[in-house]
Amino acid sequence: MEKIPDQLGYLILTEDGAVLESGGDLENDERVATIITDLISLSNSIDPVAFGPEEKFKKISITYDDHWFSICISNKKIYVVKRSIHTSSSEIAVNV
Amino acid sequence: MEKELDKVVEEIMSTPNVNGCLVADHQGLCLASKGSAHVDSAGIIVAISEQACKIQPNLKPPTVCLETDNKICLIQRHGTITGAIFKQKGAA
Repeated sequence: MEKIPDQLGYLILTEDGAVLESGGDLENDERVATIITDLISLSNSIDPVAFGPEEKFKKISITYDDHWFSICISNKKIYVVKRSIHTSSSEIAVNV
Repeated sequence: MEKELDKVVEEIMSTPNVNGCLVADHQGLCLASKGSAHVDSAGIIVAISEQACKIQPNLKPPTVCLETDNKICLIQRHGTITGAIFKQKGAA
């Protein structure tokens, strides 16, 4: 998890929200862990019309101005990564 | 009274790959919905945006994106109003 580019912090949780591994900004952050597990259980009950019962979410991202959280579940574990968003110098040049 | 809101919803619905749109207030009551977005999901959508806001309450509300294999649901809060857009993933 440390090798992910632009990574600011990470969490690996069990399905019930217990922290298995953590690092960076999210080190031992049980508060964020609880919020994210609650968010996942909420997302399971979203719109049955727009998303059929066979359509399970595979990724959740939460985007702020300069960083974002990416959340995935694999092998009954919840993986959370906090990553920074770079505005590259070329983009700024275009705006000017 | 809701003409302005209807206009915005129409505008969102005319965007390519959008197949549903929903606007709700802070209590989770639906203000407008169109396409595949169901009125009943307003409460859950507001709850999700509130939950996401709790991560960093001092920053401005984030955009939440829920992805399945071929659909995306984007949720964004602005003041007391929460908007959700249901999209089909475009052919990459």
